Amino acid sequence: MKNTIPATAAVYTSLLRADFTTLWRNRRAAILVFLVPVVILISWKGIVDKMGGAFALSMCITIGLTAIGLMGYTISIARDRDKGIFQRLRVAPVPSWTIMASRITVQIAMITALTLLVFIVGANVDKVVLTPAGYIFGLLMALAGGAVYLGLGQMIVGLIKNPEAVNATTRLVYFAFIMIGMFGELGVLGESLKQIVIWSPFGTVKRIVSDSLYPGTWSQHTSMALLVTIGYAIVFTVLGIKWFRWNTK
Amino acid sequence: MSTHEHTPILQVNGLEVYYGAFQAVRNVSFEVKPGEIFGLLGPNGAGKTSTLSAIEGLIRFRSGHITVAGHDVRQKPLYARANMGVQLQSTSFQAELTITEIIRLYAGIYGVNMTAEQILAVLAEIQLADAAGKRYGQLSGGQQQRVSLVIATIHDPSLVLLDEPTTGLDPQSRRQLWERIEAIREKGHGVLLTTHSMEEAESVCDRIAIIDHGTIVAIDTPAELIQRHRHDPEVISASRKGRITLEDVFIGLTGRTIRS
Repeated sequence: MKNTIPATAAVYTSLLRADFTTLWRNRRAAILVFLVPVVILISWKGIVDKMGGAFALSMCITIGLTAIGLMGYTISIARDRDKGIFQRLRVAPVPSWTIMASRITVQIAMITALTLLVFIVGANVDKVVLTPAGYIFGLLMALAGGAVYLGLGQMIVGLIKNPEAVNATTRLVYFAFIMIGMFGELGVLGESLKQIVIWSPFGTVKRIVSDSLYPGTWSQHTSMALLVTIGYAIVFTVLGIKWFRWNTK
Repeated sequence: MSTHEHTPILQVNGLEVYYGAFQAVRNVSFEVKPGEIFGLLGPNGAGKTSTLSAIEGLIRFRSGHITVAGHDVRQKPLYARANMGVQLQSTSFQAELTITEIIRLYAGIYGVNMTAEQILAVLAEIQLADAAGKRYGQLSGGQQQRVSLVIATIHDPSLVLLDEPTTGLDPQSRRQLWERIEAIREKGHGVLLTTHSMEEAESVCDRIAIIDHGTIVAIDTPAELIQRHRHDPEVISASRKGRITLEDVFIGLTGRTIRS
């Protein structure tokens, strides 16, 4: 009997169901990813008026995006590659892109959940209420920004094969992004570093998310930041795919 | 022996595999027929897994042709894979999923519709019905191998590839695994396996190829291999039991040097 190849949609659905189940079973790790931005948002309650709602929400969303892309996605890919899970999938009649597409779909769901959570906590705790256009634009820009960190994560698993080294590297990069990004943008670390941070993946993502929350504030600088963000996403993703190997041997 | 004379399910012709400048497989050719268990034996690093990986489409080979059920693995990789079931040497499934969920996942991937009752029946067949809700990571090595073999054959493939399937199994699990492999043969499917167990290969395989340094040095039925090489001085000097076994032939042909 000659077997036929299954429909790509059916394969994708099966992979997606398994990946969402895996995410659900690892929900504690997912909750930790959400926890950091939510805790920051709650702890900033008293100073949100001074720093502005857009600054607070965009900072928390950007921190969450960094955690999802660098820690959630990257570490799970490195771990599953090391265990041979991808190799087992690849000997089935599965187009390789569907394996990654399913993983990325899960991350998009995570980004959406994070953004909505920040919006809800922002509205209820910090009383930062946006217009419907602000919420929609904010979500779209969060997804665009998420692509940068997923691409960066892809690049890290492309460059580093050992899952423990990937784990350590992503934590280091995450910490550096958050600390340098947060303090650098405020000018605490000097003017030249402030300029670097503004045009870094952290700064451009924060800028587009921030200005999208209040669409009236969108400027030429924001459009430039969006272009740079897209550029980062493309470069990181292309290099990440080019360098990626399905096994660690 | 239950070898049927039909069109080969697997044909490998002039296979050459390189890793950079290192040639791992040199001009390897063989075929597996329906209802045949074909053993690929060789010392560590001889080229067994590289050959299997080329068939499975996991590595690119420099030259040669491989067809599975008539499908060229390079031109129609998905069709070739749809007709083969694979048990990798270090197969792992998502440790967070239960074995029921893993079977459902792979059934979906191979385009097989299975109800919850059918999945349970499959698990009952391998004496794992009680573990249906257990996560893969909680199973013993033998149980994991049984699940792995079930998934390799879930779509009733014409060809089953098994890379050292009995490694690390206790005698009971090994016996049950061989019974399942022989059942696959009885259904008329072809089986290509690698193993380091010469006793198992001698008793189960219909034909055997011995590969060393990437080249097939002998290919025949176990009985014929023993008969043909029983007077070779290297084989006689390798004999320890007073009679020539397949292991003696293997040692005689591949040498006594321990490989990495």
